[in-house]
Amino acid sequence: MAISRARYSAVYPARFILLAATNPCPCGYAGDGDRCVCSEADMARHRRRLSGPLLDRIDLLVNLHRSPGGELDGPASLTSAEGLEQVTLARGRQAERLRQHGISINAQMDVRVLSQHVRLDEKGSKMMRAARESGLLSARGEHRVLRVARTIADLDGSERVRARDLGAAIALRASPVMPASRAA
Amino acid sequence: MSARAPRPAWMAHACLACGRRSWLLAEMSGPLDFCARDRGRLTETLALDDDELLLALGGRRKAQLRARHGQFCVGELRLDPPGVEAVCRHDPQYPPTLCDAGGPRMLYVLGGVRRLEQVAARPVVAIVGTRRPSDYGSEVARSLARGLAAAGLTVASCLDDGIALAAQAGALEVDGATVAVTGGGLGVSRPARTRSLRSRVARRGCVISEVPCDRPGRMWGAAASERIVARLSCLTVVVEAAEVESELSAARVAGALGRPLAAVPGRVTSHLSAGSNGLLAEGARVVRGAQDVLDLLHPTAAPRLLGEDTGPRSDLAPRLRTTLEDVGSGCDTPEALAAKGASLEDVLLALSELELMGLLSRGDGGRYIPCGARGPL
Repeated sequence: MAISRARYSAVYPARFILLAATNPCPCGYAGDGDRCVCSEADMARHRRRLSGPLLDRIDLLVNLHRSPGGELDGPASLTSAEGLEQVTLARGRQAERLRQHGISINAQMDVRVLSQHVRLDEKGSKMMRAARESGLLSARGEHRVLRVARTIADLDGSERVRARDLGAAIALRASPVMPASRAA
Repeated sequence: MSARAPRPAWMAHACLACGRRSWLLAEMSGPLDFCARDRGRLTETLALDDDELLLALGGRRKAQLRARHGQFCVGELRLDPPGVEAVCRHDPQYPPTLCDAGGPRMLYVLGGVRRLEQVAARPVVAIVGTRRPSDYGSEVARSLARGLAAAGLTVASCLDDGIALAAQAGALEVDGATVAVTGGGLGVSRPARTRSLRSRVARRGCVISEVPCDRPGRMWGAAASERIVARLSCLTVVVEAAEVESELSAARVAGALGRPLAAVPGRVTSHLSAGSNGLLAEGARVVRGAQDVLDLLHPTAAPRLLGEDTGPRSDLAPRLRTTLEDVGSGCDTPEALAAKGASLEDVLLALSELELMGLLSRGDGGRYIPCGARGPL
C-alpha cells in the first residue's frame, strides 16, 4: 500500500483477506422463484462485472439461498467460541508445520512448499488430473485448490490431505463457466 | 440490360428474379415489421408475388420502388462474409421442404449450397424454445441435440439466445452438422455472442438466412426464420417455453403447417415450462430424450441410440448414484443434500467427483444440474 503526502511517501506491507458479497442480478431476486424481473441484457451486464480472471482468484464462493423460515430462529450450528477454537487449533497446526520455511499460514505457501506438504492420495491425484484436463481448473486454480484443501484438512485435524478435503475445496470454488456463456 | 450481365459466382444457384425479390424484401423491411406482429399475416404476405407485395405494402414509395424494381441489377445485393452463396427455389439443390408457397424464395447460405442439400436431405429435427431458459432447459436442449446429432440426424434451430443456441452447441459437441437460421443478414452478427458459434456451425453445417447479408433482420426476419426452421424439419421439439406468445410462436408456426409437434415436460410449478407443458396438454408428443425423438420418427423400428445407458453413468458407486438422483429430483444445492442426512463433506466430495466426471455441472446460484457425460473420470 503506497501512501504519498506532500513531504514524504511510504510503502506499507499489506496482507489482507478479501470478503465480497454480490447480488445474483440487478434486482436481486434471481433464483428466488418468479420474482426476478431482469432482462437477459441486464443479467449479462451484471455478470460481466465479475470477470473470469477475477473469479478465478476467489477461493471460496458460497451461494446463499432464501432460508425456508425457521432456520434463522433455531440454535446456531456453530457458536463463535467454537469457531474461534477450531481456527486457533488449525492455525497452530499450520504454524508448526510451516515454521521451518519461515512462514506461518497456508496462504503464504509457494509452489515448492505446496508440493512438499500437500501430498495427495491416489484418488486425490486422479481428481486433480481430471480437473486439469477438463479445463475446470486453471494452473492458478490448481494451486489455490490445494491450499484450500490443506486448510480444510487442518480444520479437521488431519495431517494428510484426503480426497474429501479436495472435493470440498473444488466445490467451494466459483464455477468456472457462467451458464449464459456456456452455450456460445 | 442488367439481366444479360454475367452473374457473379455466388449467384450461380439463384436466378435474377429471386435475387430481385430478396432486394425487395429488404427494402420493405419497415412495413414487413409492422406485419410481423401477426405471424399468420406475415406468412401470407411473404407468399405474395413481387407485384402484389408492392401493392400491399408499398405505401407512398410504390412508384419509386416499382421503378427500381424494373432496373434491378445484381450489384445491388451486397455480400458480406466471403463464402456466402445464394440459392433460390428454382435450383435443383434447393431443399424440397422449402419449396411450398409460404417458403422463402431465396436463401443466403454460409457453408455451401451442396452441404445444405445434403444436410436437409437427412431427417431434420427443429429444437425451439424460450430465449431465457432455466439451467434445466439449456441442459436438456443441449443433450437432446447432442444425442440427435450423434445419431446422424440434422438439428435445426435459429441462432437465438437460450434453447436454440444450446441446441446448436450440443450438436457441435459431437461434430454434428446443423442448420442455423438467422433472423438477420449473414453479414450482420447480432447478437455478438453468436459470432463464434456461427463460424463453428458454418464449418460443419450451414448458416442460412432469407435476409440479404448487410441488413439486420428486425422483427420480420425473426418470424421468417421461424417459418424456415419449421418447414425444414419433420418434427419440432419445444424444450422449454413460458405461456407467452413470443416464446410459443415457433411452435404455433409448426402447428399451422401441420408438422408434428413435440415438447419436453417441465416442472408444473415452473412458469418457464408452462407453455411447453400446455402444448403437451393440447396433444403434442412427449420427448424426454433423443431416443423418444427417434421413436417418433420411426414408429415401427427406431434405431437404438448407443451410449445412452452405458458408460460412466452405469458403473457409478452407490453413493454417487444416489447423489446424482437426488440432484435430478430437485435437491440441487449442497445445503439441501446435507439436510437429507449426509454430512456436508461427503456431499461436497460426491458433488465434486460427479462434476469432474462431467455428470453434473453448476448453474445459476451454485445449483447443480445433471448433464450428459463428457467422459469418464
